[in-house]
Amino acid sequence: MAELSDIANEFIRQEIEEYLERPTEIERNIELFARVRPAMQDIAAALIEGEDDVVDRLTQQALADGIEALEIMDDGLIAGMGIVGIKFREAMIFVPEVLACARAMKAGMNYIEPILSDSGVEPIAKVLMGTVKGDLHDIGKNLCIMMLRGSGFEVVDLGVDTSDDDFIDAIEEHQPGIVGMSALLTTTMPNMGKAIEAFIDADVRDDVMVMVGGAPVTQDFADDMGADGYGKDALACVEVAKKLASA
Amino acid sequence: MNQTSPVKAMTSRERVLAALRREPVDRTPVVNPTSVATVELMDLVDAPFPHANRDAAAMARLAATSYTELGFDSVMPVFSIIQESSALGCKMQWEQKDNWPTVRMSEPIWQDVDDIRIPNDYLSHPDIVCVLDAIRLLRKEFGNDVAIIGKTMGPWSLGYHCFGVEPFLLMSLDDPGKTMQCLERMKEATVQFGLAQIDAGVDALTVPDHATGDLVSGEYYKRFLMDMHSEFVDAIPVPLILHICGRTVDRMDYIAQTGMAAFHFDSKNTPCESKEAVGDRISLVGNINNPETLFSKDPADVRREVIQNLESGIQMVGPECAIPLQTRIENLVEIPKAVRHWHDHHGHSH
Repeated sequence: MAELSDIANEFIRQEIEEYLERPTEIERNIELFARVRPAMQDIAAALIEGEDDVVDRLTQQALADGIEALEIMDDGLIAGMGIVGIKFREAMIFVPEVLACARAMKAGMNYIEPILSDSGVEPIAKVLMGTVKGDLHDIGKNLCIMMLRGSGFEVVDLGVDTSDDDFIDAIEEHQPGIVGMSALLTTTMPNMGKAIEAFIDADVRDDVMVMVGGAPVTQDFADDMGADGYGKDALACVEVAKKLASA
Repeated sequence: MNQTSPVKAMTSRERVLAALRREPVDRTPVVNPTSVATVELMDLVDAPFPHANRDAAAMARLAATSYTELGFDSVMPVFSIIQESSALGCKMQWEQKDNWPTVRMSEPIWQDVDDIRIPNDYLSHPDIVCVLDAIRLLRKEFGNDVAIIGKTMGPWSLGYHCFGVEPFLLMSLDDPGKTMQCLERMKEATVQFGLAQIDAGVDALTVPDHATGDLVSGEYYKRFLMDMHSEFVDAIPVPLILHICGRTVDRMDYIAQTGMAAFHFDSKNTPCESKEAVGDRISLVGNINNPETLFSKDPADVRREVIQNLESGIQMVGPECAIPLQTRIENLVEIPKAVRHWHDHHGHSH
């Protein structure tokens, strides 16, 4: 069993000590970061600090040193984002800080994504993502998309203000396994239920699993609307998508 | 704490104004400082969206239903949060009857502090004039019977609309000083529109400024907005009701220090913890849950939440935010009904 002192990067050690509270998460992260090479720890640390220029530089350096793109993504970028997700869930950081981390992750993914897509790695599943009709907020959805892509999903982004017909057309065109809908407003969240009803009317409901999320959305509301899954945040979204993909 | 006896019978307007001053009331007023517009109400008075957001007579007709049809103690003609942004030049999506008008925040109009311009003819823009005319119509129709509450957006919310949410939040982290400069410039729009609504006849103003716990920390509220909200209290001489959605209990102590008359709070904060956080320094308005209760459940569930608010000493009871447009009238009329029923059985102080 790995110890905290097995992690070379001091900043990562401090993050685990200071911010992680659940024993299983502490153990998992110590095991993870003790296993990964110091260069990946450095990428994760820069991502957690929201330093996009540093992540950009370290990612390029790692690739130049012959480290596989998949390893950089899993052991550097996603590992760092895992700690960011926990801090956000526990309200230790808020959206501006998460956006800065997402910007840093994107800086790294700009190099990683083209390599992975050329390598022909099969995605876990295809996911359609959109903010519902009448809602133009997309920060949460974009964070989910970034985490899903980083976790091996293929994502089709339908953007904001997505009508029921747009969802249905995209289901028919892209044939995803999962549809994800988000809403930030209490005034627009009922449109998720309307979209699910429209899927039933269009006879496409049984073709997809539906997951929903957004600040005002709750598990109860998701259940009432007939969704298959609900995620409280971007981290949970990935877990829900993995569960739905294997269902 | 509201004193409910032995206070003489009040008009709705007197009741709301007293509650805003945390003075004794004959019964707890029922208020929504954001919006009670619904599709059913639009049909009832032939004032559908988007027309009712852009035509003064339709706006006044729809706003009046809050008092005439639902039995609330206030009317609010500004249903959405976009009138100022339209006047500032944001790209708009006016939508249809069953959808809210929105600002296309993905197409921001400003990138930097020097881009910020409050147009000289800001108050003459049709979407501003519409609100001012609607207020005059409501005052003419109802005199001093009902409290007319206006709405002027705070600079943090204007920042989302004019810069885009993501760029604005990133700027707040990358360059807090520049963000403060932006807020300083944008606050002029808040004050100008607020003062114009006072001239038109409002009794109070809601200031939505969405520094919500779903996006930013309580410390952010303190750093960027607390002092500015205090300035509004001095600059805009009617009772101000701050509205922030989401979890806000971590910033309620700061909000209570601003001098605002009231805080309109979300059901993500329980009435009890909210009352404990602010004490008697500011009135609380809220916090009947919209999506799960008013939209999805029945009058009995609404009644339970009303009672929970009353028993916690919340000064004004109403929905937590602008209600979903498809909310049924029967759930809305249950709010004043439950308040009256509760006071019939608890006719003294609570």
